[in-house]
Amino acid sequence: MKLLYKELALAAHPTSIVFAFLGCLVVVPAYPYTVIFMFGCLAPYITFLYARETNDAWYTAILPVTKRESVKGKCLLILSIQLFQLSLSIPCVFLRGILQVGNNPVGIDPTVAWYGFGLIIYAVFDLAFFPTYYKNGYKAGKAFVIAAIPMLLLMIGVEGAVHLPVLAWLDSYAPQHLMQQIPILFTGILCYMVLLFLAYRISVKRFERVDL
Amino acid sequence: MTELLQVEHLNKRYPGFTLRDVSIRVKPGRIMGLIGKNGAGKSTTLKSILNMVRPESGTVTMLGKDFFQHEKQCKQKIGVVFGGIDFYPLKKLAAITAVTRRFYPDWDQKRYQEYLRQFSLDESKQFRALSNGMKVKYLLALALSHNAQLYLLDEPTSGLDPVSRDEILHIFTRIVKDGKRSILFSTHITSDLDRCADDITYIQNGQVLESADKETFLQSFDHLKMPTDTGPLTLEEIMLRTEGRNLDETAL
Repeated sequence: MKLLYKELALAAHPTSIVFAFLGCLVVVPAYPYTVIFMFGCLAPYITFLYARETNDAWYTAILPVTKRESVKGKCLLILSIQLFQLSLSIPCVFLRGILQVGNNPVGIDPTVAWYGFGLIIYAVFDLAFFPTYYKNGYKAGKAFVIAAIPMLLLMIGVEGAVHLPVLAWLDSYAPQHLMQQIPILFTGILCYMVLLFLAYRISVKRFERVDL
Repeated sequence: MTELLQVEHLNKRYPGFTLRDVSIRVKPGRIMGLIGKNGAGKSTTLKSILNMVRPESGTVTMLGKDFFQHEKQCKQKIGVVFGGIDFYPLKKLAAITAVTRRFYPDWDQKRYQEYLRQFSLDESKQFRALSNGMKVKYLLALALSHNAQLYLLDEPTSGLDPVSRDEILHIFTRIVKDGKRSILFSTHITSDLDRCADDITYIQNGQVLESADKETFLQSFDHLKMPTDTGPLTLEEIMLRTEGRNLDETAL
């Protein structure tokens, strides 16, 4: 926990914390809700950029912390931001119901499938972003560009899919459709767990070879 | 006597620079000065010891343990300062300290407060608001407040005024007085070493030219003496003559 405390107290850019709260955007009517995931992907980019400019890696290196733990701290921070964002959106989805926000004409609604796709988008982004960044420990921009390509393609795919009549069930709150969406959620959870762990392992291997 | 730090045959290759076969031994109760001109490899040596850069070969034994195998445990017992590096410029000192102390079970808050007072440091200030000298003092206060046994300090006195340097050197001498703790510090202010170092290691072009107790070290450079030299050479004279320049020529 002290690694996460260090990340939150010193390394995390305040904007990335603001992004964590943007899960509440699901209340906004007629909005491309996958953009919320983009904010969750911008958070690591801004945080890593900020960490680089504040010599965070150097500070961490003089603490009783190994390079492995240094990577672990960053992964924990990003995991916390992304999962907090999704968790915060859950009560906001119920708030949508109370406020009687209508069906989203722009793209997918925040359904169970939306959460599954969100976790897949995060997983793919993190898998590309972390290992690319930790290859040298400073090229945050390059890591973001490389990771943003699959992220954008997935976002377009998800938003576009619900406009196809055959996939309209992805955008539905009907109980039988929600049941159909549950496997997507589980796939998302599994993807997130496996790919983030993989991203962490590859990043550790790469960062251990980096000279500060 | 068991060394607190034993560096054996450390090698690190960069494009255009190679750290070659560096071996250093720091005994308890001793202050070792690491000298060499800019770019000689002093900081690289310290970074290699701390695994901040990955040495190609060599071993580092710290407090009786293989540092690369027991990095975390070893780091608990060492204090490290790298002068000239700004950490979290927008953060207040209190915030940086609040994080740092959590990583050290042996953190001594009372001692830390004493150093803050001694160094006239205001914890409510942002790191960037400190002068270079005050930044080094703050980092020293952090390094000195968790009962470390070994201190690895890179240019800890650079940027400090003579009064502060004297104060810091006095603290160094006090730290090693109990005979259990040691300091390895790199500097290009050789007069600091004249005053407080017990041992000197001279690094030239990535290689250890000489590493010995101060007396033996000074004697080993007697061949550099000129007929006009009456007393022993100073460390500055040794460096200037070894690096191929004459003191009188540079005096202008």
